[in-house]
Amino acid sequence: MLSFIGRSVIQKTITLFFVSIVSFLIIHLAPGKPSQVNPMNPKFTPEILERFQKEFHLDKPLYVQYLYFYRGLFTGQTVSWKDNQSVFSKIWGRFLNSLPLFIVGTLITWTLSFPVGIRSAIYRGGIYDRTTTFLSYLLISIPGFFFAYVLIIFVVNHFHVPVIGMETFGIANSSIPHMIMDRIWHLLLPSVLGATGGIAILSRYVRSQMLEVEGQDYIRTAKAKGLPPDQVHYKHAFRNALLPFVTMFGLILPGLIGGSVIIETIFSWPGMGRMAYDAILARDYPVILTVNFVSAVLVLAGTFVSDLLYLVVDPRIRL
Amino acid sequence: MNPGENHIDAPDYIEAPLAPKHTRMQEFGRMLKQNRLAALGFFIFVLFFLCAVTGLILTSGTKPLFNPAMVRLEEKLRPPLSKPNLQALRPDQVPVLNVYLMGTDDLGRDVFARMLQGAWVSLTVGFVAVGISVFIGIFMGGIAGYFGQHHIKAIHILFFLCLIGGIGLVLINAVFAGTALLLLCLSSIVFLLSARDKLPEKTLPAWKGILLGNAVSVDTLIMRIVDIMLCFPSFFLILTVVALLPASIYNIMIVIGLTSWMGTTRFVRAEFLSLREQDFVAAAKALGIGNFRIIFRHIMPNAVAPVLVSATIGIATAILTEAGLSFLGFGVPPPHATWGNILSDGKNFIFDAPWLTFIPGIAILIVVLSFNLFGEGLRDILNPKLRERH
Amino acid sequence: MTVKRFFIFAPILLIIVLLQSYFWEPTYEEQTKGNPARLTEYITGSIGDASLLNPVIASDSASGDINGLVFEGLIDYNKDLRFRGRVAKSWEISEQAFFYVNPSARIPEWGIVDAASLATRIKHAQKSPIPSDPNLTASLKRITNISVIPPRTYTVEKSIKKSGGGQPKTIRFQVTAPARIKLVLNQVDQHLFQNLAHLLGKNYFESFRGRNYLTCDARLTAKQWAAFAKELIPATEHNPILLFHLRPGVKFQDGYPVSAEDVKFTYEAIMNPKNLSPLLSVYEPVKTIEVIDPLTVKIVYKRLYSPALSTWGIGILPKHLLDSQALKKEAAALGKDQKTFSIRQSAFNRHPVGCGPFKFQTWKSDQYIILDRFHDYWEGPPNYHQYVYRIIPDPLTQEMEFYAGTLDSYNVEPHQVMRLEKDPRFQHFSGTSFGYTYIGYNERRKPFDDPRVRRALGMAIDINKIIKYVLYGQGERITGPFVKQTDYYDHKIKPLPYDPQGALKLLAAAGWKRNKSGRLEKNGRPLEFTLITNNGNELRKAVLAIAQDAWKQIGIDIHTDILEWSVFIQERINKLDFDAVVLGWGMDIQPDLFQIWHSSQTHPYQLNFVGFKNKRADELIIKIRQEYNHARQVELCHKLHALIADLQPYTFLYVSKWTAVLDKRIVIKTVDASGAVQYKKITPTKTGNYRYYFNQWVKLPQAPQFMDKG
Repeated sequence: MLSFIGRSVIQKTITLFFVSIVSFLIIHLAPGKPSQVNPMNPKFTPEILERFQKEFHLDKPLYVQYLYFYRGLFTGQTVSWKDNQSVFSKIWGRFLNSLPLFIVGTLITWTLSFPVGIRSAIYRGGIYDRTTTFLSYLLISIPGFFFAYVLIIFVVNHFHVPVIGMETFGIANSSIPHMIMDRIWHLLLPSVLGATGGIAILSRYVRSQMLEVEGQDYIRTAKAKGLPPDQVHYKHAFRNALLPFVTMFGLILPGLIGGSVIIETIFSWPGMGRMAYDAILARDYPVILTVNFVSAVLVLAGTFVSDLLYLVVDPRIRL
Repeated sequence: MNPGENHIDAPDYIEAPLAPKHTRMQEFGRMLKQNRLAALGFFIFVLFFLCAVTGLILTSGTKPLFNPAMVRLEEKLRPPLSKPNLQALRPDQVPVLNVYLMGTDDLGRDVFARMLQGAWVSLTVGFVAVGISVFIGIFMGGIAGYFGQHHIKAIHILFFLCLIGGIGLVLINAVFAGTALLLLCLSSIVFLLSARDKLPEKTLPAWKGILLGNAVSVDTLIMRIVDIMLCFPSFFLILTVVALLPASIYNIMIVIGLTSWMGTTRFVRAEFLSLREQDFVAAAKALGIGNFRIIFRHIMPNAVAPVLVSATIGIATAILTEAGLSFLGFGVPPPHATWGNILSDGKNFIFDAPWLTFIPGIAILIVVLSFNLFGEGLRDILNPKLRERH
Repeated sequence: MTVKRFFIFAPILLIIVLLQSYFWEPTYEEQTKGNPARLTEYITGSIGDASLLNPVIASDSASGDINGLVFEGLIDYNKDLRFRGRVAKSWEISEQAFFYVNPSARIPEWGIVDAASLATRIKHAQKSPIPSDPNLTASLKRITNISVIPPRTYTVEKSIKKSGGGQPKTIRFQVTAPARIKLVLNQVDQHLFQNLAHLLGKNYFESFRGRNYLTCDARLTAKQWAAFAKELIPATEHNPILLFHLRPGVKFQDGYPVSAEDVKFTYEAIMNPKNLSPLLSVYEPVKTIEVIDPLTVKIVYKRLYSPALSTWGIGILPKHLLDSQALKKEAAALGKDQKTFSIRQSAFNRHPVGCGPFKFQTWKSDQYIILDRFHDYWEGPPNYHQYVYRIIPDPLTQEMEFYAGTLDSYNVEPHQVMRLEKDPRFQHFSGTSFGYTYIGYNERRKPFDDPRVRRALGMAIDINKIIKYVLYGQGERITGPFVKQTDYYDHKIKPLPYDPQGALKLLAAAGWKRNKSGRLEKNGRPLEFTLITNNGNELRKAVLAIAQDAWKQIGIDIHTDILEWSVFIQERINKLDFDAVVLGWGMDIQPDLFQIWHSSQTHPYQLNFVGFKNKRADELIIKIRQEYNHARQVELCHKLHALIADLQPYTFLYVSKWTAVLDKRIVIKTVDASGAVQYKKITPTKTGNYRYYFNQWVKLPQAPQFMDKG
């Protein structure tokens, strides 16, 4: 166990190191320079450009820039080139904004996928199964922004309530329950939109896991024993089908920092995705690289957690 | 290798292991009948393919039948099925069918012609991107699965690092450092060749031992590369690269391809790992058949099923990704029309001209859906065991 | 079964919790009508967020919007686009001019004279006008004082850049300057020395050899010598002077009075290299800035630079919050290095304090910025209590929010104008903007070096149609690079006609003939090139498609390409790697065209990337830059305008019109001396600025009926 953890940590650190190099190279070798250095602004003379370059160490060789950047990252000194804010405080602020979206989206995904997936596995081939199959494919096939616009226009035209932003603008002095409910309402559409793909995939996965388990001998035995079908399905079958999903808890970790650029743009949600997108457009290298680094850490931590969970949950695996 | 022939030649009384009774095509037809959704998907898939090809023929050339680039400013934002205003147009501007089947866009271009052209471009984006990813996936997965236990020596890694670094440095005009690295690289080749002559490894001095020692297995190396690639959030990575590189249809295809091969690699590796241990491979090896023949003639055909399935679904994803990029303004640049950029151009006019949004939106929906359904059906057909794996 | 029940109830519960929130949600009607506070706030939408709320270091438009409200400059433009005082009550422009006594030049009639007698003789000439030379008389009349600066010797240190990089080298000059005459003028006169030469002899100034008075401890090339001589000991020198009298009683939003020290500090903040101000080059011509008393500041310029006055529209920074002591304190509090800590790092940029009409309240990144009105604003507080800047990145979402009433204004796109114009709830204004869109041709490449070809290309595009259909009439033709509302723009110049046949004739004259298949070719080479633009601008994209189509009609093979902004600029424009480009310029009201049109600015990374070179144009550009007299400037501008329209370095397409759509309930409220309240309809000024009276705007619960317009 300990050796597994040790090995894993070393391996992941090495991976992280390479990720940091690759992302750094992608960003620095791509054409285009930071837009602080906007050369189309007549006010920017070559001297100012040069000074900016120097300030951002852009005149140094790449490996020096790499060292500068990661030294700044680990000492927490990195600042955004755009507004001189600390990158970590920026990311933290955005993270808090994206968090509710992530939590509600995940809740919707997981609470809906299981009943739907299990039911379609039980009534395999029936109308319910086929309808949900079709619906889940429909959901992952819609271009996200198209769906978002259709939904927004529908809600705004029929219910005359705002759906844009994190909260209704200008109700800062209303009562607390109002504010909470207002927040929840604003979460509804974007999180549902964010969850559609997840529901479709996860419910299909639940279904297939259930089918696999339902084909096992012990289920047949349980049925033959005359146990009520609910007990067979939910106690015997489901428990065993649950195993792979335990590990998936680890894999949703990177979703924390992901955030969808498109949904956040349409809904004016000041989340991670949009910050990263704006940073890309402005060539705000510190922000891009930090987001990338943090998300890589989360991905690796996620796989690590899921491996560990697997170890704990499945007694057959001993490393 | 045609199992059908076998079937005819083989005497009926032999009960020994036989090739399947049905050809794959027959199996395919049978499954399509059973799985109506997949059949529908396949039907739309074929229809879309035909549309794209006819679209390519009808909209390209110097004097295309449907000109997707023809600007008729007087005729902007006409609803679908409206008749052109013949007085305002020059003879060469009148649309072929004398009607705007799907209306016109904000510059008076015929949306039908653009959709036709877009079908081909979207299809190409999907196919080429997935083609790239499948190629890399099979290659990497195959190597990892088949040669996985082989070890790479430290000197090899050094060699490649020097080679890549050297070329990179030369490319970014650091000629001196680059040449130095390339020379180092050359010297390592010399070192390797010289080391090969002296076989008894025990007598090697320590530093040579380290250089020639086994550093890492091929499998580990490739899977670590996969891990590295998986550390990047994929849409974000695509967006970064597409935003930073000059926009072109090729870049988009390549970038989508280069960022989506990891799944295929894992499938192929798993398949190879299990197939490698099978009797028929052992038999082939015993017959002295070369590695590459074993890989391509014996293992690959058996491992291709999950790849095909993920490729079909991958095409659907690529089309959606392109649409998403278009929304952010980084899709395929004009003059190529894609469904994604027709949709994202049209969204500004959603109140004035809803058809500009709904026609491409629903077209994408239908095509992507058909790819997904068909892919799913294909999964059932090609390998019942693999059913429902995602 | 608990598990089953859980699976049924958990999703239902979740869905119910989510959906019931709808019933708590105020509808748009409740928000806008049932909320009296809503009337006192003005909410505007923006695509992007601000970055730095500090006028000295911000360079994006969103920050500019907010800075314009929080900060106030010494002056700004009035409704006729002439200057008016804000923090400055009044100002005076004068000049001091210098010239070195040239000991070797013989002056007609006077011979070789020393400094003192030269001064007396000029004074003398002032009193006895020379009727044959009215220009000289006028120049002499402007001189109010003449004095002599005795010869002096001093050393200066300069640094020179080595060719091929490396550390700059410091060199030392020994200057033995001869006597110098100082002339004080009551107004700026760029022709002063030209006219004085009539008095002192044609070559009096040219024959002065500054090189003879310099010695240097390093070896210099002839070119370097000439440059240093010109810099250190110029034969003649103009020093325009701006004297600002500040308005007494103007306060910063934290209660401190605005003083001349703050003006000086603002200048110093821009010039401080640590702050990396993008405005550095604009203030580079300033020689000295001097606080005469708390309400008077004197700015001396190194040379004639007529846009100088307009630069003092810059928002004045509060010295007491940002000077080195304040910064040191802040750095110490944050635990940062005091040496490298600059205004750029200061928290001020997120909590600005200025002396403008609105006071900063809150900023939530990518959500909104709220400003409160400033009660002690010198002109009286604005009527709106709050100004809200909402960040909504998607234009379509902005439009929906506007319809719903939670935005008072947003950046209306042309195609939406038609629809909004018909809506009885809204009033709308439009006016021409300060920017134009053009197609620029790389004159370094054939066939664009031929003005006939450029003209023909312009004539082949039906620009009126672009304006009518692409801009929905929200645009006007433009023929030259001056702001259309100013008198620098010459309205007599006719735009290019749409005439494909004429274009073909012009092309034929330039040697391009149509071949059998209808393509244009010259000596067997077809006419083909690539037209590029940047992505993200729908109008430019449309222009690209239209130009492509139009040029195809006359037989030109044309390719198009759309590139991401940063790549577009850095890989193509800056490296001068393009054939033709669709782009736009935002114009300054000041008619200074040096950076975009002067032939010295045609190198890579400079703004005259089309490579427009014309001697006469260069001359005019410099003259305009040095002319402080409005009427004369206008005259020169018209000449330049005609020249550019004739040579067609760009195909000038259009200036777009902005349109603002506002709720009809928003009106101007004025209170006259007797306290009677009067409401007026908002009308844009002559120059098209509808927000000119913004501080007097108010939103009424009901749209008022105006007598004049029913």
